[in-house]
Amino acid sequence: MATTNLNILRNALNKLRIDHVFTRSFQTPKFRPPHWYLPKDRVGSEESLTQENKKFIEEVMQERMKAQAMLETESPLSNIDTSQTAQWNPLTRRVGLIARKIGNYPLWSKDGKKVQTTLLQVVDNHVIKYIPPEEFNPMIIRKPVWKEKKKLGCLLVGAETIDPSTVTKEYCGLFNQVGMLPKRILCRFMVSPNACLPSGTPLFATHFRVGDHIDIRSKTMDRGFQGVMKRWGFKGMPASHGVTKTHRRPGNIGAGGEKARVWPGTKMPGHMGNRWRTLRGVKILRINVKHNVIWTLGVAIPGETGAMCYLFDTVLPLKKHKTSPPFPTQPLIKDLPLEYYDESIQPFDNNSITFEET
Amino acid sequence: MALAIRRYNDILCATKWFIRRDCRVFSTLPETVEQYPKPQVVKEQRSSRIRANASNPKLAYRQIYPEFLPDPNPKWRNSLREKLERADMLKRRSQIDIPEFYVGSILAVTVADPHAQGKVTKFVGICIERKGCGLRAEFTLRNVVDHQGVEVRYDLYDPTVQKIQVLRLEKRLDDKLFYLRDALPEYSTFAFDMDPEILPEGTPVPVNAVQVILKPRPWLERWERQELKGVANIEEHLKEKDRVRRELRATPWEKYDLMKTYRKTIPVEDQNKIWAEVNSQLEQLQLTRKKMSRKRIFNTPKVQLG
Repeated sequence: MATTNLNILRNALNKLRIDHVFTRSFQTPKFRPPHWYLPKDRVGSEESLTQENKKFIEEVMQERMKAQAMLETESPLSNIDTSQTAQWNPLTRRVGLIARKIGNYPLWSKDGKKVQTTLLQVVDNHVIKYIPPEEFNPMIIRKPVWKEKKKLGCLLVGAETIDPSTVTKEYCGLFNQVGMLPKRILCRFMVSPNACLPSGTPLFATHFRVGDHIDIRSKTMDRGFQGVMKRWGFKGMPASHGVTKTHRRPGNIGAGGEKARVWPGTKMPGHMGNRWRTLRGVKILRINVKHNVIWTLGVAIPGETGAMCYLFDTVLPLKKHKTSPPFPTQPLIKDLPLEYYDESIQPFDNNSITFEET
Repeated sequence: MALAIRRYNDILCATKWFIRRDCRVFSTLPETVEQYPKPQVVKEQRSSRIRANASNPKLAYRQIYPEFLPDPNPKWRNSLREKLERADMLKRRSQIDIPEFYVGSILAVTVADPHAQGKVTKFVGICIERKGCGLRAEFTLRNVVDHQGVEVRYDLYDPTVQKIQVLRLEKRLDDKLFYLRDALPEYSTFAFDMDPEILPEGTPVPVNAVQVILKPRPWLERWERQELKGVANIEEHLKEKDRVRRELRATPWEKYDLMKTYRKTIPVEDQNKIWAEVNSQLEQLQLTRKKMSRKRIFNTPKVQLG
């Protein structure tokens, strides 16, 4: 009897131990951060730099820029032999491009209609690294998965070369491994293993063709904390007729009775914009080869002028590629025409449009 | 009584018209539309900076080709886009002769139209507005056809435009002539078979100092608040209330707001770059236009003889 009582007491005392009490359940993260996700911005002090050192840094920078420029023209990487590599089929996924939105202006179609276009500049894109599907495992999984999945490799693409002294050593290291200068933007594209590209391959606007449809992913304009009228398009209430203090307010946000609470997902004021959004099935109307500029139909591409966009082959079933696009990418060819126009677009150096009498 | 006033107005208008057309060459009215002094006007005493501006003939382009200057809003500026846009504009200009014209000039525009009878329509009217930068540049023509006011907006670089002809090259006292909508119809009535008036080469663009007569209220806009110079009888139609409100709403300090003007204009350094870029091509286009106009002068007597 005494022993059982003692046991009960010991259990009770055991439970009173502070390290035994869980205040918050710990959940393991689902994704592990990718290895290229490194601190980038460097807070450097210029004070310790002497004039000579500065000159030396500039010299090194110049040399490396030259070397990279050589890469685009003379390197074997830029002359991909398309016959050697794997053939394209509708299930393969190609690499995309990183572009900068540089503005809008109208073009005219051959039937005299005005179409608004958005200009996207493909800025200095290079393949940085390919990670094959076996090595690429962003998910932290405890149990083994027996079901075989369609595996995609990961292709890192960088855009816009920057001065290496402005970024951290770790970030520079990513690019040093493949002999490149660091890039301002580094983006991941999931590609089929047969569409992989060697590091250092330059990507151009001719990766897409005129008339193709693309998906464009970028961040929408940041509008800050907005009310319900701007954020969700509510009507508000009348300006007059006895209405006081409720002109732009949402009104009722829920009913009483059984469901006497605010339902999840109710449209309310809050932060608007600065979100990743994808616009699918945008048609390419014109491509400038010299400046690597793509004209796309419409003005609905998210982000303000100067925003970075990621361009992919579209996934929409009716607008997908029917024939093989440049695969794995369009190599640099010297004597390409300067501009490509879609057949529906009237080039500005053509004669004025006239209509035939029927 | 009303009829008498109307007739009096008609006579007044006709006499003004007559006087204007005869004395246009001798007109000594200051050019208010032009903000920058012309090279001939500039004296030696002026400060060196103004002289530099005036001696730069490229800056005169801003009057003739205002759409080559980009929108000054810094949110929309991008040097590459502006460059591509200018290249496209020049390509279009090499295909069609887009002449020099101003708000107040009378134009004839021929446009390809799939729904028209001969697949082509021609419209004649006075340019009441000119706006937009780059390929978005547009202008509005106004005319009165069968006692009905008609306004047509054209894109300057639209490839369906077949021909733009200046029938009378002149400026007015205001930047926008929207008040013609509320003016008597004779001020915006122009014959469709008007002959082009050719100015002798080298003459400055004449300023038409005509002051229109407004119809009684109601008006489309509050013209009295807009400091219009081209309206004669605005005070007749005002009540005391309107004058008081005009005073209340006036913003006389705005012309001293340096930041406002800065935000609305492209800096001279940027302009110099732009004009240097397009100068050679624009000059070539001007040369070809001169050649064409000489041909036209040579052709006209033949037509008259026939």
